[in-house]
Amino acid sequence: MRMRPLVACAATVASLAVLSGCGAASADPEGPVTLEYWAWPAGSKAVVDEWNAANPDIQIKLSDAGGGDESSQKLLTASRAGNAPDLALVEYTTLPSLIVADVPLEITDYVGDVQDAFTEGTWAQTTFDGAVFGVPQDVGPMALVFREDRFEELGVPVPTTWEEFREAAAAVQEADPDTVIASLPPTEFGFFAGVATQAGGQWWSVDGEEWSVGIADEASLEVADYFEELATEGLIQTEPLLTPEYNAMVNAGTMLSWPSAVWAPSVIESVAPDTAGSWAMAPLPQWTPGDTAVAYQGGSALVVTKNSEHPEEAAKFATWLNASEEGNTLLLDEQSLYPASSLGQEMAESNDPPTLMPQQDDFYAVSADISAQTVPVTWGPNVNLAKSVFEDELGKAIRNGTPWRDAFVATQDAVVADMKETGFAVSNG
Amino acid sequence: MSTTLQPARRRPRRRQVAPYLFTAPAVILYVAFMLVPVGYAVWLSTRAYRIEGALLGRKTEVFVGLDNYVAVLTNPEFAAGFGRLAVYGVIAVPLTLGLALLFALVLDTPAARLKRFGRTAIFIPYAVPGVVAALLWGFMYLPSTSPFSYVTRALGLGTIPFLDGPGLFGSLANIAIWGGVGFNMIIIYTSLRSIPGEIYESARLDGAGEVQIALRIKVPLVVPALVLTGVFSLIGTLQLYSEPATLQPMTSAISNTWVPLMTIYRDAFGTDDLPQAAAASTVLAVGTVLVSVVILRIVNRKRMGVER
Repeated sequence: MRMRPLVACAATVASLAVLSGCGAASADPEGPVTLEYWAWPAGSKAVVDEWNAANPDIQIKLSDAGGGDESSQKLLTASRAGNAPDLALVEYTTLPSLIVADVPLEITDYVGDVQDAFTEGTWAQTTFDGAVFGVPQDVGPMALVFREDRFEELGVPVPTTWEEFREAAAAVQEADPDTVIASLPPTEFGFFAGVATQAGGQWWSVDGEEWSVGIADEASLEVADYFEELATEGLIQTEPLLTPEYNAMVNAGTMLSWPSAVWAPSVIESVAPDTAGSWAMAPLPQWTPGDTAVAYQGGSALVVTKNSEHPEEAAKFATWLNASEEGNTLLLDEQSLYPASSLGQEMAESNDPPTLMPQQDDFYAVSADISAQTVPVTWGPNVNLAKSVFEDELGKAIRNGTPWRDAFVATQDAVVADMKETGFAVSNG
Repeated sequence: MSTTLQPARRRPRRRQVAPYLFTAPAVILYVAFMLVPVGYAVWLSTRAYRIEGALLGRKTEVFVGLDNYVAVLTNPEFAAGFGRLAVYGVIAVPLTLGLALLFALVLDTPAARLKRFGRTAIFIPYAVPGVVAALLWGFMYLPSTSPFSYVTRALGLGTIPFLDGPGLFGSLANIAIWGGVGFNMIIIYTSLRSIPGEIYESARLDGAGEVQIALRIKVPLVVPALVLTGVFSLIGTLQLYSEPATLQPMTSAISNTWVPLMTIYRDAFGTDDLPQAAAASTVLAVGTVLVSVVILRIVNRKRMGVER
């Protein structure tokens, strides 16, 4: 109800595109080079300080442009305005859409020699058609982070399959009606994509010279049915995560688990530090007993942008941080990330477990086991649209009590229509 | 002679330049920050990002004419957003204006005490930025932190569904009313203060009470102020964004396309479709101007008719 200029809405879209972003690096060719660097993990400052002290000729200037989604949005806008930073951390999910929008620079020639530090599957997350667009930084092998003490107290075994997860959810509810095993709301697009991949679904894949979209493939629709049953039987919540509401439940011990990925402990610790010591991590439940495959949820790579005047120096920082022993020590100790490189993952095994679960000595050993079994995922060029439509459609299905699989189908249709309109070759009818 | 002539000649010239000099800052700012961006947005709305052939080709800008407008006008979610705005507006606009008028009339009665304090107290919420207000209210709506739900639970009535179903409209309208009443009240109050006191004096001599004076004299005389605040409120409704966007992470009842401006934001910054967002913005802006003009026409004609 505030008074605003009549046409401000039309003006905003245009002017934001012009005004946003900060200046790209400029340097005198003789003197030291200054590189702009966007990253959001806590502890990035310590990493930059360490580098700057050791490299007087290549100085890094850090900015925090918000978390994964937000940072990518700003990066795209800044790039269109011609003043993107030299270096930016980007989630694997949005990397293809940024490549299509011509944001990252192909850095195959600069970073090809560090490829051996990564497994093939991880390296594939930043390589498209043989061109490398980023150095993988961290990965998120999916895992179940749970309240060890409360599972024990209620006499419920920790589930190893999704069928056991359903039984555990029911047992939890019977033992303590105020407690719920987990909340899996529509906003957890990455989770649903991950468990669909685990079930054999392929939300995006490349089929010869064409894209194939499988958000509504048979495996994914069965995943939708399974979680719909849990929700309608009241065995899981579908309320958003990390709201004051959710955090209160986590603190009170009435939210028993977060099926997500190995990065979850530091997130939980930030909202419920007093619960440290009560948590543990286990591999994510499986669709088929005895299976070991899981997908990734989250994870990011460091890219050099097209706007950079010093791509070689920028790539040098990216490889130092992610493929050197020194860099991986900082990733582990300062940023609490699970490194993407095999080197970093090996180093992690001798690290102390996260402070949320100091008693779990095998945390990084378990993480390494899971990571070795991850299924490769291909993300399409319009994941943001898929995420947005998925959230809205699944939210609608939950509110109206309509089948969840309809939401998956609606997302599939919207994604295919958008890709066709943009001009991609898509094999779906 | 020449010394006296020259200044005389210059004076008229200076007078011609002065008005332009005085208006120049406003005109330059208006052109640079309003007309140029609007023009750019309109131009952008006829473009689109398209890709050629390969699996991960690069997007290039192409001209697509009115395609974006067709997409906007045939998008059922965009239309549904206007539907939700209408429900919200029906609750928020009359209540904001009604309360603003009521407070203004109460503060204007001779019997009112603590006028300065009352005026400031009612106006203060307007000084709270929209996002901050939405956050504050959000905490008061969430079941576990809501003081209202705490009381109703203690009384055995259960939690109030502030952020679900139809309650959501009332909750959002409440934030806008809380923030908007003060501003509108000041406009109406200022208009009330400009009514000459002699009119009230003669009404009192004729035996009119305070209520009669309020309804028969004050309300008809502040109609222009009511029209003005009404149009502002309507425009504010069409531009609803910060309240639902701020509450969105707290509830799954608010979709990414809940109101038109949220759709525009998503297209522009979420899904990389700036041209589509520009087209939707243009539609919204033109629609807003049209609605405002129509309402002002109707109201003015009615008032002219009454005066005749």
